[in-house]
Amino acid sequence: MHSQKRSLSLCVVVVMLLVAAGCSRKTDTGGTAGTTGTTGTTAVKVADVTLGRAIGGDKAISDSTDKFRPNDTIYASVMTDGSAPSATLRAKWTFEDGQTVDESSRAIAPNNRERTEFHISKPNGWPAGKYKLEVFLNDQSAETKTFEVQAR
Amino acid sequence: MSIFDKLRKHDEEKPKADFSNVQSGSSTTAAEPARPAPEPPPASGTAGQSDTYVVAAGDSLSKIAKRYYGDANKWNRIYEANREQIKDPDLIHPGQQLRIPGA
Repeated sequence: MHSQKRSLSLCVVVVMLLVAAGCSRKTDTGGTAGTTGTTGTTAVKVADVTLGRAIGGDKAISDSTDKFRPNDTIYASVMTDGSAPSATLRAKWTFEDGQTVDESSRAIAPNNRERTEFHISKPNGWPAGKYKLEVFLNDQSAETKTFEVQAR
Repeated sequence: MSIFDKLRKHDEEKPKADFSNVQSGSSTTAAEPARPAPEPPPASGTAGQSDTYVVAAGDSLSKIAKRYYGDANKWNRIYEANREQIKDPDLIHPGQQLRIPGA
């Protein structure tokens, strides 16, 4: 009787181990989602967004800050990681009262790490206050940054 | 007037920020996506879309036109497309191979 119970318990344990092994194999396959080896395309993501007053030739911010003066040109450098034949980045700048300051987009064909910069300027100066930049990748919100324009 | 009313009034009087003259731009290290190749222009006339019909006994151009176009009055299209072998539109022969344009 005891031996029968022990055998039954052993069977249950073996079945559970087999199920667990099957599940873990599924998880491994899922880990490669977004990568398609046949086309050499990898999922593109926004890796980083940096704000500043100036950019270099590599489109990276050379004077990083989140506090600006009214006459500054405000740069946002968006680093994407991944490869795709086409992706669209959109930058939406808004003021603290909810007004849209500017919205622009750019289509890119990213190949591994790329940088795309967006910039805005206002000839008669930015109103002092808090601002927000939202970066979208293929119409999906990817990153949000806030910054401030301080009166002189 | 309470302090809240004063603050509300102050907010209401504050002019709305004007962003009408904002200038913007962008640049990237990434390549531009390839533009899709333009679609080839539609084939001129009916070339390439014609069908071939072998005339059977009792056929007429009107009957064939009715069969292909749903309109017996369009027999002239078949006649014009086969002028080199149809001398008389009222006289076609079994076994003749006719080109049916736009079928």
